[in-house]
Amino acid sequence: MRKKPGGVLGIVAVTAAVALSLSGCRGDGGGQGGGSASSPGITDSAITLGITTPLSGATAGPGKCTVAGVSAYFGAVNAAGGVKFGDGKTRTVNIKSYDDAYDPQKSLANFQQMVSDNVFAATAGLGTPTNRAFRDAAISQKVPQVLVMTGDPLFSDRKQSPWQLGFVPVYQNEGAAFGKLLAKSGAQHKVAILSQNDDYGKGYVAGFKDSIKGASNISVVGEQTYEATDTSVDAQLTQLASSGADVFFNAMSITPLTIASLQKAQQIGWKPIWFLPSNTSSPTAILEPGGAAAYPGIYSVSFAKAPQSPAFAKDPDVVKFLDELKQYGNYPDMPAFPHCMWSYMVGATLEKAFQNMKEPTRDSFMTALRDIKGLKAPLMLEGTSVDTTVDGQPAVSSVVVQKYNGKGYATAENFG
Amino acid sequence: MGTFIQLVVDGLATGSIYAALALAIVLVNQATGLINFAQGGMAVLSAYIAYVFVQLGLPLLLAIIISVVLSFLFGALVERFLLRRFERGDPDTAVVVTIGLLTLVTGISAVLWGYNNLAFPSLFPLTSVEILGAVVSVRSLATAVTIVVIMVVLQLLFLRTKLGLALRAVADNPASAAFSGLPVGRLLMVGWGLAATLGAIAGVLVAPQLTLTPGMLDTALVYALAAVILGGLSSPIGCVVAASAIGVLENLVAVYIPLIGHDLKIAVPFALIFVILIIRPQGLFGRKVVVRV
Amino acid sequence: MSTAATVRRPRVRMILTAVLAVALIAAPLALPAFANQTLIRIGVYAVAVLGLNIVMGYTGQVNLGQIFFVGLGAYVTAYGVNHGWNILLVFFAACAVAGLVGLLVALAAARLGGLAIAMVTIALPIVGVPLAKRLSDFTGGSQGTSARFTDAPDWSGLDNDQWQFYIVLVVSAAAFLLARSLVRGKYGRAFAAVRENEAVAASMGISPYRTKVLAFTIASIFGGASGFLYLAAVQYTSPETLSFGHSISLLAAMVIGGAGSIAGSLLGGAYYVFVPQLTNAIDPNLTTVSQGAILLAVLFLLPGGLVSLPRVVRRLTRRSATRRSTARPAAETSQQTPPAQHPVPDAAPEGPEQTERQDGP
Repeated sequence: MRKKPGGVLGIVAVTAAVALSLSGCRGDGGGQGGGSASSPGITDSAITLGITTPLSGATAGPGKCTVAGVSAYFGAVNAAGGVKFGDGKTRTVNIKSYDDAYDPQKSLANFQQMVSDNVFAATAGLGTPTNRAFRDAAISQKVPQVLVMTGDPLFSDRKQSPWQLGFVPVYQNEGAAFGKLLAKSGAQHKVAILSQNDDYGKGYVAGFKDSIKGASNISVVGEQTYEATDTSVDAQLTQLASSGADVFFNAMSITPLTIASLQKAQQIGWKPIWFLPSNTSSPTAILEPGGAAAYPGIYSVSFAKAPQSPAFAKDPDVVKFLDELKQYGNYPDMPAFPHCMWSYMVGATLEKAFQNMKEPTRDSFMTALRDIKGLKAPLMLEGTSVDTTVDGQPAVSSVVVQKYNGKGYATAENFG
Repeated sequence: MGTFIQLVVDGLATGSIYAALALAIVLVNQATGLINFAQGGMAVLSAYIAYVFVQLGLPLLLAIIISVVLSFLFGALVERFLLRRFERGDPDTAVVVTIGLLTLVTGISAVLWGYNNLAFPSLFPLTSVEILGAVVSVRSLATAVTIVVIMVVLQLLFLRTKLGLALRAVADNPASAAFSGLPVGRLLMVGWGLAATLGAIAGVLVAPQLTLTPGMLDTALVYALAAVILGGLSSPIGCVVAASAIGVLENLVAVYIPLIGHDLKIAVPFALIFVILIIRPQGLFGRKVVVRV
Repeated sequence: MSTAATVRRPRVRMILTAVLAVALIAAPLALPAFANQTLIRIGVYAVAVLGLNIVMGYTGQVNLGQIFFVGLGAYVTAYGVNHGWNILLVFFAACAVAGLVGLLVALAAARLGGLAIAMVTIALPIVGVPLAKRLSDFTGGSQGTSARFTDAPDWSGLDNDQWQFYIVLVVSAAAFLLARSLVRGKYGRAFAAVRENEAVAASMGISPYRTKVLAFTIASIFGGASGFLYLAAVQYTSPETLSFGHSISLLAAMVIGGAGSIAGSLLGGAYYVFVPQLTNAIDPNLTTVSQGAILLAVLFLLPGGLVSLPRVVRRLTRRSATRRSTARPAAETSQQTPPAQHPVPDAAPEGPEQTERQDGP
C-alpha cells in the first residue's frame, strides 16, 4: 500500500511527538513504589484479582470451574459488604478472567495484560505450563501469582518462587497417601500402574513408588502410560490385565477415558482394586457410568466434600456453595470437576490473607498469605486444612484416602 | 496369543472411530474437492442436537433421525451461504474457511452446552461377546458394522449411481460439469448435506464412548485425516481399511516394541503412510490423477 | 504529478524508509510496556508466518507443520542459553537445526505430490509433542524449560520490554528484508512457476523438486528464527508450544494476512496475536465463538486477506467516483493500476493470485 507521503510524515510526526511527551513519564513498568504507597490494583474501596486459565479447548471444563468458584465466593462476600482488610478498610473484590486456552504464550500475554489492567495479583489459574510461562515475569515484576491450580512443586519452593504459592497438594502427596495405606495393609499385592504422560501422571507415580519403597508385600508388575489426547486406552488395559495385578493404580485426569477404562477392564474380566486421583473420581460423573460397583474397591484421595455425594447433599457448606455458584459464579450445573470446590476454597484462603494484611501492598499481602495455619476453609473434609507456613508445600498438603461405597465416599482408615 | 487377538480387536474398535469421520471427509472431498476441517465440529454439533431431543423425552432412534435430517440441511446451507463464495478461489483460502467454521461451530456448542462431559446414550448395549478368545463389546461391534455398511453404500453411490457420478464430475471440474447441463450449485449443496449427514451418524456412534464435549472429535480428526491420505482421498473402502490398520498397528507396536511405547505409537501410522506414499503416491486405493499440462 | 508517482521516486522512498525506521526505533521508548510486549509477540509470529508464506503462499506447497520448527527453534535456543553458549551462536543454531530438519524432511517429502507434504507436515507437530516429552533431558519434559537471556543489560538503561523489542525488531526486520529480496529475485520466479504448474516450470529449466526443497528449507529456517524470538519474548517453552492446533492457527493467520504477500505476513502475525487479546476483551467465556466469527467475517469480506483491504477500498471508491463524475476516471485509473511504471522493473510477481504488491516492510 503506498501511502501518501504526507500521511506517513504525519504519522511519524505524531509518533515522535507522542514519544517525546511520553518518554518522560514512562515509569518502571509494573514495578513497586516503595514504602506504604499502595500497590497497583488496590484502592480504598476495591481490590482486583486476575485469573488466566483455559476457558476454551480441551481443558476448559476444569478451567471454567477455577473462575466460577472464586467468583462465587467473592460474589457472596461482596454482596454482604466486602472484606474487612487488615488496614481497617473494607473493600470489594473484583475478579477479571482471561482465556489462555492452555497455551503458555497466551498465559504470558494475559499476565502482561493483567499488569496493564492494574491487577493486584494473579490467582487460581489452572495448568503447569501456563503458570510456568509467566512465573519469571511475575517474580521480576513482583506480582503475586498465588494459590494456582497446579501440583508442580516448583510453585511452593520459596527460594525459587518468592512471589508464588500453589494451592492443591503436589501430585506426589496424593499418590503417596494411597501407597502408605496399601503398604500398611501387610497383605501381598501386585500393582499395575497406568499414568498420564506428563508431570501430573509422573508426580502421582513417583509419590506412590516412594511410599511403597521397602514394603516387601507390594510389587509393581506392570507400568504403562497414555497421552492426554488419546481416544482410547484399551491396549494399555489389555496389556496390564495380562500382568495379573490385583491393584490398579490409575493416574488419569481425563473423564471419558476413566469411564471407558472402568468399563473396559470389567469387559475383559480384570477386576482389581482401583486407585483414582482426586479429579477423576466423581461418584456420579465417572464411577456410576463406568459401573464401578463391579470392582472389589475404588479408592481415591480428596480434601473437598463432593457435592454429588449423597452423604453431603444436605451439608450446609455444600448447599451454600451450590447456591452461590449458581448465583454469582455463572455456573448453574452440578460441578463436574473438583476445581470448582478448590477455587471456592482459594476464595476463602484469599479472604483470610486480606483480613491479615496490614498495608495495601503486595509485600504485605504475601506476608499475610504465608502466615495462615489451620484454616478450615468451607467444603474441606475432616482432617484437612489450609496451611501456608511450610516451605516446599502448597496451601493444602493434607489429603484423606477415601473408599467408594456404592453411592459416595467414606474415609478409609485401612486398606481392604 | 489371547493378548494379541485382544489388541487386534481393540485396535479395530478404535480404528472404527477414525473411520467414521474419515468417510465424511472423503465424501466432501469427492463431492466438492475440498478437505473439510470442520467435519468433526459439525458432527459434534449434530450429536448435541440429538442429545437435546433425547433430553426432551424422544426415543433415541427418533432423536438421531431428526438430528441427521437437520444436519443435512445445515450442511447444505453452509455450502450455499459460506463455502460457495470460496469454491472458485484459492483452495488454501477455502480450507482456512473450514478451519474458521470449525472454530465457530465448536464455540457455539461450547456456549450452548458447556465444556462438561455429557453422557450420551448408546443405541447398542454395553454387554460383550467373545470372538476367538478376545472380548469385544456389542457397542464396538455394532459401530464397526454400521461403518462397513456406510462404506459399502458410499462406494456404490460414487461408482454405480448417476448422483454419485454427477457429484464427482462437479468436484472434478465445475466448469465442464456446468457445460454438460449439471445443476452444479445444487449438487454441491447435496454433497455437503450428505457429508454432514454422515458426520452426524459418526457423531452419535462415537459419542457414548467419548462422552459429549465440544472438542470430542479433535484428536479423531487428525487420525481421520491420516487415514484419508493413507487410503486415498477418493476411496471409501481405502480409508476404512487405513483407519483400521492405523488402530491395530498402533496397539501392536506400542505393546510389542517397548522402545516406541504408548507415547510415540502415534508416529507409526505416519511413518507407514510415508513409506506407502513413496511406493504408491496416490494412496493405497486412490485413483491415479493424471496431471495435464 | 500525482502523489503516488512522487512516492516512487527513489529519493522519496529512501526518506520514507528512513522515517519509518526512526519511528520503529523510537516507538518502544514511548509506548507503554504492554503495547511493546504485544508488538514483540507480533514480530515473533510474523516471522513464522513469513516462512509459511514462502513455502505455501509463494510456492504452493501445503505445510501444516510450521509450528514444529518454531518449537524446535525455541527448544534449541533454551538448550543453548542454559548451557551458556554465545547468544549469536544460539541464534544460528536455532536457525540451522530447524533448517537442517526441514531440509531432511523436504528431501524425502518433496519427491511426492502435495499430498505427501501435507501428511508429513501434519505428522511433525503431532509426533513432535510426545517426542518433546520423551526427550526430557533436552526439553525439560512436560514441565517445559525456562531460559532468560533477554533482560536488558544495565548499561542500556532500558526496560526489559524495550530491550526485547529491539532484539525482535532486528531479527524480524532482517527476516523481512531477506524474504523480500528472495521473492523478488530469480528464486521468487522459480517459486511462482512451480506453484503455477510444475510441468511448465520444468520445461523452463526450473527443477520443481529442488525448488520445493529450497522453499521448505527456507520456511523451516524462518520457523527456527521465530522460535528463537519466541524464547526471547516468552522465556519459556513446553510441548504445548508445538501443538497441531497452533499450526492450524498459523496457517489461518497466513491466509488472513494475505497469501503470497510479504506485508501480509506481518498482518498475519498481528492477527495471530491481536485476535485472542480482542476476544478476551469482548468476553473471555466466548473466545472460541468470537474467534471463529472474526475469521469468517474477515475472509468473507476480504477473500484475498487483510492485505487486499486497500485494493478493495480503492475499487469501491473508484466505483462511486465513476458514478459521480465522468471527467476524472482516466487519470485515477492510471495511478491505481500502474503495472507499466512499476518501480522495480526486474521484480518477479509476488504471487500468482493478484495480491497487492508491497513496498517494503
